[in-house]
Amino acid sequence: MSVEATTSRAQTVSETLSSAIELLENDQNLKKQIRESIEPIDDLSRSATTELNKLHSAPFSQHAEICQNAINIIIRSQPLWVDVAKLIPENEFYRYQFALGPTMRQLTTSIVLARFILHDELTPSHTISTILGLQSDQNGVLQLSAEDYLQGVIGAVNELPRLSVNAVTSQNFDLPIKISSFVNDIFASYSLLNLRNDALRRKFDSLKYDLKRCEDVVYDLTLRGLTKPRE
Amino acid sequence: MADVDVLMPSEGESSVGVSRKQHLMSTFESYRAELDTDNERRERLIILSRSITQLSKKLIFHLHRNATSPSSQQKDKCLREGRAKEREIWVNFGKIKDELKSIGEGDEALKGYWRWNRQVSPGLEEYIEALSFLYYLEHKSLVPLDAVQKTLSDEAGEPLVIVTPEDYILGMSDLTGELMRYATNALSTGDHNTPLEVCEFVRTVKAHFDGIPPHMLYKLSKKQEETTRSLEKIEKVCYALRLRLIEFADKPEVLAMMAKRALEDAAEREEKGRED
Repeated sequence: MSVEATTSRAQTVSETLSSAIELLENDQNLKKQIRESIEPIDDLSRSATTELNKLHSAPFSQHAEICQNAINIIIRSQPLWVDVAKLIPENEFYRYQFALGPTMRQLTTSIVLARFILHDELTPSHTISTILGLQSDQNGVLQLSAEDYLQGVIGAVNELPRLSVNAVTSQNFDLPIKISSFVNDIFASYSLLNLRNDALRRKFDSLKYDLKRCEDVVYDLTLRGLTKPRE
Repeated sequence: MADVDVLMPSEGESSVGVSRKQHLMSTFESYRAELDTDNERRERLIILSRSITQLSKKLIFHLHRNATSPSSQQKDKCLREGRAKEREIWVNFGKIKDELKSIGEGDEALKGYWRWNRQVSPGLEEYIEALSFLYYLEHKSLVPLDAVQKTLSDEAGEPLVIVTPEDYILGMSDLTGELMRYATNALSTGDHNTPLEVCEFVRTVKAHFDGIPPHMLYKLSKKQEETTRSLEKIEKVCYALRLRLIEFADKPEVLAMMAKRALEDAAEREEKGRED
């Protein structure tokens, strides 16, 4: 092999690698931009969580206000999702879901918790999408996946045993009953799913313990005649 | 996803109780159907990806067995067979495409590709490694990214799967390990050019990849350690080779014998290294 041929081949190899590395840099820069665009949403999400934490100590009369505040904070993320959506190429949502999923799950958790206190219901996935503004045309590329929704809901349930215990401390004996019935319904619903050994399965396993703790509180109240008979 | 939800009665306070439970149960039955479909699809894709990995490994072994053959006729035959094996793997990528098309045509299939990328990419990475090795033996050069993508397209030029720069670069990093084996094998057949060429090639690859910051591609920074070890082995082979070429330039039979011994030493050291 002549020296010239070797040199020109090395050059081709260099060019091939350089152009691939350049493409990699573009890809990684976009990932970074997307991660950064989600940060202000995470800030709002944390504020909402902080607000909801007050449920454990505030008197029952303030619960509705706290929950409404939390939802209002989350609604402020709507224009920010538009910024995120702009960065994601069409059809490539799932390529970047790893960066968005955790935030969406946390927001689902907060919304489900707040709306349980407000309306005694499990917020459906499309309502969460509406609250986040994901259903507008500008945000067509974004979606709340079933997986993220189902995990987010369990996150909300994980908060409830504590809330039940603290309700008793502040002499609110209705809330534990309401919680126990809600957790019961949710546990029955999740039991319908055929889960594989993944993150959702592990989250589901935590539900059993939540349910038991909530029922224990109701048992303690019943034992002492502190529950009103249900109409 | 959206069709999974059925609207809750908005003034649900009065209908809470049995009706909420019933409502939730029917919603979750839809989720069950959705998750079941997803899980079945995931399984099928993982199976395809695994068989791509297996076939790619076989292709690599096939190339190692025959590519260093001294007869150029046999070498050509090996490469032809290699191409045939590559096409067998290609058929499996076609099956992946079919699986994704079953979600929906066009955009839906593309969305599906990104959604199931993690199931597909282990096979894809192994395939890129095998393909780039085959390409190196055919052209003594590096297969460009767009050529990989072209090979993984159907007759109409539509991509079967999408090859990202990340997939490509990780595949090229693995290639250096195969080339190290190839160079040492070549030495035993008295092929003195190959180790020197491979050495130059691997150096170029390593130098470029050293320029990629670790946070950009974490997996690569681990693979670079392997590449560095491979390169050191190749450089040792070249060192011994150069000295012998000078010393015994006029006695090819002595060269061949010494090369064989060097190779055995290398194998022994590798064995020992593994035990440690």
